[in-house]
Amino acid sequence: MIAHQLTVPEALAGTVAVLLMLVQLALFRSVVISELIRLYAVQSFLVAAIGFGVGVTEGSWDLIALALLTILFKVVALPIYMQSLVRTISTRVELPARINITLSLLVAAALIGFAILTAMQLPLHHGAFLPQADLATTLAIVFVGFLLAILRPNALAQVIAFLTIENGLFFGTVTLAPGLPFVIGVLLLIDVLVAVVVFAVLVRILVGQEASASTTFFERLRG
Amino acid sequence: MNGLAVAIAAVPAALAVAVLFVPSRVGRIATAIGGLVTAACIAALALQTADGAPGAPDALSALFLLPVAIVYGTVGLYTTWYVRVESIGSGGDEIYRREFLALTNAFAAAEAIVPLVTNMAGVWVALEVTTILAALLVRLHGTAAALEAAWKYILIASCGLAIGLVGVIVLYASGTGVLGQHYEPVWSAYMAVASRLNPDGVRLAFVLALVGFGTKMGLAPMHTWLPDAHGAGPTPTSAMLSGVLLSDALYVIVRFASIANAATGTTMTHRLFFVVGLLSLFVGAFFLLRQRDIKRMLAYSSIEHMGIVACGLAFGARIAVTGAFLHAINHAATKSLAFLSAGRLSHRFNTREIAGIRGAVAALPISGTMFALAGLALAGMPPFGTFRSELMILAGGFGGREWWIAIVALLLLAIAFAGIVRWVTSVCGGEPPAEVRRGERDPGAIAAMLLGFAVVLGLGLFVPPPLGRLLEGAFRILEGRS
Repeated sequence: MIAHQLTVPEALAGTVAVLLMLVQLALFRSVVISELIRLYAVQSFLVAAIGFGVGVTEGSWDLIALALLTILFKVVALPIYMQSLVRTISTRVELPARINITLSLLVAAALIGFAILTAMQLPLHHGAFLPQADLATTLAIVFVGFLLAILRPNALAQVIAFLTIENGLFFGTVTLAPGLPFVIGVLLLIDVLVAVVVFAVLVRILVGQEASASTTFFERLRG
Repeated sequence: MNGLAVAIAAVPAALAVAVLFVPSRVGRIATAIGGLVTAACIAALALQTADGAPGAPDALSALFLLPVAIVYGTVGLYTTWYVRVESIGSGGDEIYRREFLALTNAFAAAEAIVPLVTNMAGVWVALEVTTILAALLVRLHGTAAALEAAWKYILIASCGLAIGLVGVIVLYASGTGVLGQHYEPVWSAYMAVASRLNPDGVRLAFVLALVGFGTKMGLAPMHTWLPDAHGAGPTPTSAMLSGVLLSDALYVIVRFASIANAATGTTMTHRLFFVVGLLSLFVGAFFLLRQRDIKRMLAYSSIEHMGIVACGLAFGARIAVTGAFLHAINHAATKSLAFLSAGRLSHRFNTREIAGIRGAVAALPISGTMFALAGLALAGMPPFGTFRSELMILAGGFGGREWWIAIVALLLLAIAFAGIVRWVTSVCGGEPPAEVRRGERDPGAIAAMLLGFAVVLGLGLFVPPPLGRLLEGAFRILEGRS
C-alpha cells in the first residue's frame, strides 16, 4: 500500500469507522434487549456523524439534512419508542445465543478479516473521504450484522441485527457513493421505520402471549 | 419523458389513492378498468419500442413490462369477484376491501416502475417499495400464518435487498474512475463505458446483485420466504408476487449481468447462473412432490421455473437466452392463471388442502378446466407457451458445450412434471363432495381467466413479430452489445 499522510479529517473518520466496528462487536455480548437498543442508538450516532462530515467536506446540503434526520429518528425518537415498548414485556427477556460469546467474537473477527481482504483485492477508485477503509467497513458491518441475526434465534434481536445492517448500508452509501441520489438515504430511513413497526408488532404479540420471542414461534410454516 | 410510460405508472398509482375514498363496489370496477387501461398502454409502448420509436424505453425494459400488463390486467378483473366474496369475518370487511384494493393498485404501480426507471438507484428504491407493499398485502388476512409469512418475507427480502444495495454501491464506486465522483447511475451510462470500468468491482457487484436480487426472485438457496408468502397472502397478491415481482427481480439481475458481460466477458455470469439455476430446479422439483397445500404447490413451481430461466441465461446461446426471456413472460401468464383458478377452487371447497379438493371440473366447470390447463402448461406440455420456451432453452443447451447440464435440467423437469400432473389430476378428476355447490357465474373472474388463458395458449401457437424483435433486442443487451 502506498504510504499516505493522514489529514485530520481522515484520521477522525478512521477513528469513527473503528468505533462503528467496536459497537457492532459489542452487540454480541449483550443478553438484554434494551442494551442492544442503546448500542444501536450509539452506532446510529456514529453513522450520522460520518454523514455529516462527508456533507460538510463535499458541501452537499442533502447529506447534511440526511445526517440530521438520522440523528432525529435513529438516535433519539425510535430508540426511545423501542425502549418504551420493551418495558411493556412483563418478564425480563434473556436473549438466547447459539454459540458462546468468545466463539461468536472469533467468527466475527474472521468475517472482518475477510471483508478487509475482499476490499483490498478491489483497486476501486475509493471515495475521497475515507479512502483506506470505506468498502472494508461497509462489508464488515453488513457481514457481522448477518452473523448476529444467525447466531441469535430471537425475533427482536434479529430486527436489531437488520437495523445495524442498514446502518452499514448508510455508511457505505455516504462514503463510497456520495453522488447516489438522496432518495436512497431517505428510503433507508423508511426501512428503519418499517423495521420498527415490525418490532412493535412482535412486542405486542409477546405481551399478548407471554411468549419468549424465540423464532421457534415463527416456525410453523415449513416444507 | 414518454407519455405512455408516465401513464403506466400514474394510472395504478392514482387508483391506489382514489379507491380509499369510494365504496369498494365502485373501487373494484375502477381497479378492473385501470388494469385494462394500463395493459393497453404497456402494449402500445412495447410496440413503440419494437418499431424503434424515439423516446421509447429499450427492448429489455419493454419486455419486462409485459408481465405487468398480463397480470395486472387479469388480476384487476378478478378482484371484481374476489373483493365481493372475500371476508375477514369481523365486521371490518369494507375497510379490509378498500385497503386491499389500494394496496393492490399501489403494488402494481411499483412493479411497473421497476422496468421503467433507467436509474439504478431508482430501481432499487422501487423494488424496496414493492417489498413493503407486498408484506402489507400478505398480512392482510390477519391470521397467525399470514403474520408469520409477512414477517419472514419482510426480513428475508429486506436482507436480500440490503445485499443488492451493496452491489449497487460497489457498481457505483466502480464507475467513479471513469464517470467522475458524482454521476447519474443510469444503465446506458455503464454500458457505454463498460470496457473501462473496474472489472473486479463489476464482478463483485454482479455476485452481490445475484444473491441480493436473487432473494426477491426466489432463486434457491435464497427462496425460503417464497412458499410462505405465496401461500398465506390473498390470491390476487399471490398472482402478482409470482407473476410480476419475480420477473422484476430477474430484470434487475439481467441488467447487472449485461454490464458484467460487457465489462468482463460472459464466463462468470454463465457459471453463476448455472449454479443457482440447477439448484432452484432441484429444490422446486423435489418439494413439488410433497406439497399438501394447493398454493404452496404453485409457489414451488415458481422456484422451479425461475431455475429454468436462469439455466437458459446460462446456456448463453441466442435461442436459449431468447427462450429464457420468453419463458419469464409465459410463466407470468401461466402462473397467474393457475393462482386465480386455484383461488376459485379453494374458495368453493373452503380449503387449500389438495386432499380436500376433488372433482373441481364438475363443481366449477370453467375454473376447474382452467386450473387443469394451467397445470398442464406449468408442466411444460404442448401446445402452451411454456412448452415453446422450455424447448428453446433446452435446444440451446443441447446445441452447446454444456449439453450435460441440459440433460440434468431435463431430468429435473421430468420430476416436476410428475409432481404437477399428480396434483392436478387429483384435484380436477372425480366427483366433488355432495355439500359442494356446482356451477359458476362470476363474469369478472371468468373473463380474467379466459383472458389469461388466451395469452398462455396464444404464445404457444405463435410469437408475434414485434415480440420477436423485443426478445432479440433484449438478447443483444444481455450480451453487452448495445
